[in-house]
Amino acid sequence: MSVSLKNRLRPSDLDGSTWLLLVSFVPLVAFFIVVWVVPIAYALGMSLFQNPVRNPTFVGLGNYISLLTEPTFWGFLWNSVVYAIATTGLSLILGLGLALVVNQKIRGGAALRTLMIFPYLLPTLVVIFMWKFILDPNIGVLNQVLENAGFIDEPIAFFSTLTWAMPAVVITSVWKFASFAFFILLARLQAIDPDLYERARVEGATTWQAFRDITMPHLRGAILIILLVRGIWMFNKFDIIYLTTRGGPLQQTTTLPIRVFQIAFNEVNFGEATALAGIMFFLLAAAAIVYFRTFAPEAEVAH
Amino acid sequence: MATADSSWFDHRTQQRLQRIALYVTALLITTFVVVPVYLMVVIALQSPAATFAGGQVNLIPSEITARNFLVLLDTTETVRYFTNSLIVTASSTLLSTAIAIAAGYGLTRFEFRGKSIAARAVLFSYMFSPIVLAIPLYVIFYSLGLLNSYFALTLALTAISAPFTIWLMWQYFQTVPLSLEEAAWVRGASRFRTVWDVVLPVAQPGYISAAIFAFAVAWNDFTMARIVMSNDDMYTINVGASLFLDRVTIGWGETMAVSLLISIPPFLIALFLQRYLLQGFSVGGLE
Repeated sequence: MSVSLKNRLRPSDLDGSTWLLLVSFVPLVAFFIVVWVVPIAYALGMSLFQNPVRNPTFVGLGNYISLLTEPTFWGFLWNSVVYAIATTGLSLILGLGLALVVNQKIRGGAALRTLMIFPYLLPTLVVIFMWKFILDPNIGVLNQVLENAGFIDEPIAFFSTLTWAMPAVVITSVWKFASFAFFILLARLQAIDPDLYERARVEGATTWQAFRDITMPHLRGAILIILLVRGIWMFNKFDIIYLTTRGGPLQQTTTLPIRVFQIAFNEVNFGEATALAGIMFFLLAAAAIVYFRTFAPEAEVAH
Repeated sequence: MATADSSWFDHRTQQRLQRIALYVTALLITTFVVVPVYLMVVIALQSPAATFAGGQVNLIPSEITARNFLVLLDTTETVRYFTNSLIVTASSTLLSTAIAIAAGYGLTRFEFRGKSIAARAVLFSYMFSPIVLAIPLYVIFYSLGLLNSYFALTLALTAISAPFTIWLMWQYFQTVPLSLEEAAWVRGASRFRTVWDVVLPVAQPGYISAAIFAFAVAWNDFTMARIVMSNDDMYTINVGASLFLDRVTIGWGETMAVSLLISIPPFLIALFLQRYLLQGFSVGGLE
């Protein structure tokens, strides 16, 4: 292995020592094989069997077919898409709004930036406790405020009503993830040459025109990346939904990640669970292809 | 915050309106961010009796007490859960950062065919879904008898954080000029010595932000711990505390108290290592 490697390599420097080469690549390759390649191959293999753990029977694509023909499957896929789009879109709007504000050199801008680190670093469980408390029907602060203001007569059980469960889960998620968009966009904004704005001002451009012709073009790439990468992550988000609603009420907030967990650990059907994991893997691969085609991020590391 | 140009106002009024709009937006978003955190702190620090006095939630603290924390220590396994969390978080942070330093250096300094494929593989695993990985890992650990072991959870958490830490170090080592190393070789230092004495000190900001990231992933994790650790004495703090809400003996006071405790390590990081954190963001997004 090391020999064939060595022949392939053209050390880009004076003398590439094989030893250093091994030390830097062996952990990487070993790690990737152990925690990525083997589990994924194993899962794809298991998805072709019924009862793959205890008493495997080969069923080919049977698990996939029974999954895709369940009428509920498309509802779960739809929930995943709705959740991903709503959380990503709202996080982007909030993050962009605040990044533009902080970039305007307002008083307390630095403090605001520090503040935005908190939602990001606070563990998901803590964020969920906060929002479960705020949205609680009996003691929740939001119900208290709404009732006192006369907007509602009856308290709303946000996480357990059909109408409100998804919005409640979305708000909880947005609170945690808006800062991700904020930091990336703020970094981009601060990299824009201030002379551009100065020149626009001299030529009599309005604030809106400057925003449209200078700010937006500079942010376009970052916004696309946020939409795509954050969208993929939110599509695959498990912990927030599991901890708030368990996918309820009546599977109203059951997304594919929640469904995988249910099939594996509640229904103990690892054939179908790995098949659904396989379907999610292919969806992810398709999204990744779009990402690589659009951005060629690996160009950043090419010399 | 751009407002449409209108000839109704003179320039100065328009400027003033813009400033007001800016501050209002900042205030709204700040409120949205601060209120939940404030609630957590207040409820954690006052007794439930004070919080719910008069049938309403009282948010102006009338007292400060350690009662909730004491109840937590007396009636739950919180200390045990925290110990488990600290063990796996520390192990996973070390492992993830070590792999990232080694791999990042190799990927930067050696030329080989398929480098862009390697870059794509790293990025692809960075976008990967933890739950999709968790299902086969669970079965593999089950077959090997490794469920409920620190080793298994450390490996699983490192699987989630390593793609990004590798990417970060790969980017970072590119900013370390090769001439620094060449200068050391000319003086007769071995390549290994050079990496140890010359490259690593220069790359310190890079691996600190990699370590912060690996730490955050492990400390925040719920999914992997929920699946890999099913015995009560092996629960991490996130899994252990997540069951508090279902217990009759544990109320909101204790729940917020444990939330405050879980938040302390990330808070300290934000306080002391903010600079590195922002650097990490400028290289790529964080999960």
